[in-house]
Amino acid sequence: MEPETVPHTLVDARGSACPGPITDLSMAYRRSKVGDVIELWATDPGVKPDVRAWATKTGNLVRSVEHQPDKIVVVLEILRR
Amino acid sequence: MTTTQSVPAPAPDVERPTTGKISIMMFSGTADKFIPLGILSQAAAALGMEVNVFVTGFALHGFTNEHHDLPFPVEFEAMAPALAQGMEAKHVESWDTMLRKAKELGAKVYACSAMCEIMGLTKADFNDLVDDVVGAATFLEMAEHGETFFV
Repeated sequence: MEPETVPHTLVDARGSACPGPITDLSMAYRRSKVGDVIELWATDPGVKPDVRAWATKTGNLVRSVEHQPDKIVVVLEILRR
Repeated sequence: MTTTQSVPAPAPDVERPTTGKISIMMFSGTADKFIPLGILSQAAAALGMEVNVFVTGFALHGFTNEHHDLPFPVEFEAMAPALAQGMEAKHVESWDTMLRKAKELGAKVYACSAMCEIMGLTKADFNDLVDDVVGAATFLEMAEHGETFFV
């Protein structure tokens, strides 16, 4: 679990087709600060490889990818802005 | 079933993020070609890449204030209703909505000055998606050292 003291932004992109989830993530990233944690919810199956590509391109970290019955939950840590 | 998978930190990538640039020369004026324009420009902009779209040829009609229904090519006409239905069911946005989001993330759209002259169009004839009217030399300079797609 995330410590509650860490700023934790939830981005709900469920039901949004590619490249919607990555775009919503990118919008949240623009408002973030170094050290923030962003949690992305999505249903598009492309989100798992796409968040890795996004993290590689932007220099941030994918902490975890969790497949839940109704969604994919990705937790990212913002390492640079 | 719930499974958790931890992803190891990609150390070299974290140290040195890559950027990049794509330039899309939009020439075709059929509806099928505008879908990848929307998807690729939005995805690239979301990755923090520089995105330049140069609109020329038959694609100019997709960007004018006067609305033109973009046709499907004859060979895809039979597929078009299923495509439209599937896109709606999966909440895939229209190409112009996707391009607008790409622009919010920094993408730029330019209309070709030569084609504007030929068609009698000026900047005022285009909708808000078009940032400026430029020549081929400007676009080639913008596209240099990046990937360029001709669509």
